[in-house]
Amino acid sequence: MSLLEIQNLKTYFEIRQGYVKAVDGVTLSMEKGDALGLAGESGCGKTTTALTIMRLLPSNGRVISGKILYEGSDILAMDDETLRKEIRWKRMSMVFQGAMNALNPVFTVGDQIAQAIRIHEDVTKEAAWQRVDELFSLVGINPERSKHYPHEFSGGMKQRAIIAMSLACNPSLVVADEPVTALDVIVQAQILNLIRSLRERLGLSMILITHDLSVIADTCNRSAIMYAGKIVELADTVTLFKRPEHPYTQGLLTNYPSIKEEKRRFAPIAGSPPDLLSPPSGCRFHPRCPRAKESCQSEEPELIEVERGHYVSCHR
Amino acid sequence: MSSARLVIYRRRLGDFLKQFRESRLGILGFSILLFFIFTAVFANYLSHSSTKATEGVLSERLQPPSPSHWLGTDEVGRDLLTLIMYGGRISLLIGLLAALISGGIGALVGLISGFYGGWKDDVLMRGTDIMMVIPGLPLMVVLAATLGTSFWNIIFVISITGWTGTARIVRAQVLSLKERPFIESVRAIGASDSRIIGLHLLPNIFPLIVAEMVIRIGIAILSEASLAFLGLGDPLNISWGMTLNWAFSCGALSGNYWWYIIPPGICITLVVLGFTFVGYALDQIVNPRIRRR
Amino acid sequence: MGMRDFVLRRAGVCIVTIFAVITVNFFLFRVMPASPVDMLVSPLLGEGVGGTETKEELIRSLGLDKPLWMQFVIYIQNVFTGNFGYSFITPRPVIGIISDGLLNTMVLMLAGNMLAILMAIVLGVLAAWKRGSRTDVMSLTLALTLSSMPMFWVGGIILMILSVRLGMFPLFGTTTIGLSHPNVLSYMVDYLHHLFLPMVTMGLVSFGGLFLITRSALVDVFSEDYIITAKAVGMSNRTTIFRNALRNAMLPLITMIAVRLGFMIGGSVLTETVFSWPGLGWIIYNAVNMRDYPILQGAFMIITIVVVLANFAADIIYGYLDPRVRVGASTHA
Repeated sequence: MSLLEIQNLKTYFEIRQGYVKAVDGVTLSMEKGDALGLAGESGCGKTTTALTIMRLLPSNGRVISGKILYEGSDILAMDDETLRKEIRWKRMSMVFQGAMNALNPVFTVGDQIAQAIRIHEDVTKEAAWQRVDELFSLVGINPERSKHYPHEFSGGMKQRAIIAMSLACNPSLVVADEPVTALDVIVQAQILNLIRSLRERLGLSMILITHDLSVIADTCNRSAIMYAGKIVELADTVTLFKRPEHPYTQGLLTNYPSIKEEKRRFAPIAGSPPDLLSPPSGCRFHPRCPRAKESCQSEEPELIEVERGHYVSCHR
Repeated sequence: MSSARLVIYRRRLGDFLKQFRESRLGILGFSILLFFIFTAVFANYLSHSSTKATEGVLSERLQPPSPSHWLGTDEVGRDLLTLIMYGGRISLLIGLLAALISGGIGALVGLISGFYGGWKDDVLMRGTDIMMVIPGLPLMVVLAATLGTSFWNIIFVISITGWTGTARIVRAQVLSLKERPFIESVRAIGASDSRIIGLHLLPNIFPLIVAEMVIRIGIAILSEASLAFLGLGDPLNISWGMTLNWAFSCGALSGNYWWYIIPPGICITLVVLGFTFVGYALDQIVNPRIRRR
Repeated sequence: MGMRDFVLRRAGVCIVTIFAVITVNFFLFRVMPASPVDMLVSPLLGEGVGGTETKEELIRSLGLDKPLWMQFVIYIQNVFTGNFGYSFITPRPVIGIISDGLLNTMVLMLAGNMLAILMAIVLGVLAAWKRGSRTDVMSLTLALTLSSMPMFWVGGIILMILSVRLGMFPLFGTTTIGLSHPNVLSYMVDYLHHLFLPMVTMGLVSFGGLFLITRSALVDVFSEDYIITAKAVGMSNRTTIFRNALRNAMLPLITMIAVRLGFMIGGSVLTETVFSWPGLGWIIYNAVNMRDYPILQGAFMIITIVVVLANFAADIIYGYLDPRVRVGASTHA
């Protein structure tokens, strides 16, 4: 049984002018131990997918259709209490985008993690704080700092603290949304190393969301590229980078500067991201695709397996 | 003013009006105010009572509402509807003038404090802090009791206690504007301080000051009413507050003369609401910290 | 930088402010168009309260012939020894009259504002959690309307309906005149019975502004990331609201309460006058009407000092609740 299976998920946001089709038919699956990278431009729906998995959508978000099977149970059909007590943080946790603000400024960092632990496990305060110390050591923060407030932490340390918090209840799946975007390059590398080593040590499964392909290359064994609310390509990371099939993926990868190669000009992908209120007909990418043909405008392409484990959604 | 600037201002005005029209609260508030301003201005044409506001027929004192006196009469027999209509003039006028003056003071203090910084800022802000701590109404009471309660004294007293909020807000705005690149570049060109303030800062903070002032008008009207109730109103000018004062002192509460007490209060409430709504609508349009609520 | 330094710093500011207030109060009564002689001396002459001293003697005894700076020093000394002079109307020291009223005002303020804060928090949480719903809109309308009403008018109407018409509550004072109280309990009951209407009036009017601030603060807090984190971690709604969100929303609320203290005291003046509740406000009202300047000056002084001290207390509480503030940013803008 796969760890996570998303079947034809559609999440729309209701605004005055209509529905923003943020996630419009996403299907993917993950096995235990996988690190799935979810990449795409801003607004392509990757964060919304993550929020839907954790059922943390804002009040105007609606799941129109689809199933999310986590270890066999449908998350979307679960009642609130079970979700809150059993799934949230215990089985699935999240590292948020902009973790800078994810911590409550009026409580100490250790206090917040301890709170999280004691919601799910019936332990004493001392036991909880002991776990806090363990977690801090795990992520490389001096355990003494657990008595400090968030504003006393640097950006990189806050990120580590958030990661520590996400591991507090030993979840089997961690969803990390842009975990390193707000950090400078050196700290980025450190955090990515940390994530990688944690994965190995704890056998974590992860979904890593980012717009930076190098991050995915570094840490994930499987990658999915999203565009305008749909998955356009899904494959093992190595395969994706070596043999991208979808024009969008190819466009993204071409623009990847390499220290080894010659200097060359960038060839940016023409056009701008589509309006998700009324997306383009047929294949969402067709207005910007250098290889678009007529059928691309009228029919939506399906996700087809072009080689083992490698899925592309394109008419070619 | 160059014609180019005129065009810009006119376009800005157009944008502003369009945005204001979209604000339901703003329209509501504006309509309320329009109604009261209209009745105040045209009070002498509208008042249908044969007696003028200052005369009363004693035999008709303290009558409940009737066809000849829609809102009843007061304790000397005057038609209350007329009194209230004329009262609107005074209340609105005092509110407007007091808000204008306190807004002016506040803007000036905020401008100097924010723009020049340094010791001027420290001194002015300390002074503002102290003024903010001193309770408003007691201070007004003390001032009015010692200075006397003429029309302009009351306006002065209300203004002197109401400028601190505006000062803080204007200062914050000026501080943030000061950092903007366009101020730096104008300075680099060599513009003098007064030019920067007058030509570049003022047009940007002006809308904010206006929005503030509008809300202050409502507050000023309430302050005047409170002063009048405590016996510190201008006896020569019958504002709504003074009307309530007479109502209370002639025993309207215990005698159950509800027509004397309720209408002036409703008028005050509606007018203050009107200014609050309009001020809020203005604030939404004008405030740079616009956040969607 | 910790709590201790923070407290010391705020205490320093508090002391400076009190001195400023004393100075202002001094000059208020000396540098008025009406000369201090007219205000402080003539009434004494006329009423004969000062006995048969001549004008000059009175001037000398009140120290009005000394140079201004010297009067100022004497005034400061007087303030600290509690010597506010004597009332014009009743031959009692001002300080005695004021301290009687202070207690009653404190009770009223405390009771009224507790009521207001309670209502504001309850409705504020509801309104913010269900933003845009009917509950929200109705609460907003209620709060806005209440804060646009003249406080004394609200009190008057309440008095008219609940006391005059329905006779459920007494008309004035703290206790029923002529009623003897065999024990403390019966006294308290009578007192509370009299307190009820003024308390409700104060509560209603304070509620408006407090509700708006609470709701706005909560709306802000609810949209913060750490609330989403709380939800993700699996906290129940109740824990999220009360433990996490409210703690943050309290901060602007406390600041607001501190800022509005002055306003609330003003409200107390009005409410006490309507209900003849013998507190400081009512004393001020009578002093104004009788032109009893020493009382006016003394009461104003006391009220202002109390407000300054209350502001100080609020600062300290705020510093305890919000660790970010202790690090030493200046308090304005």
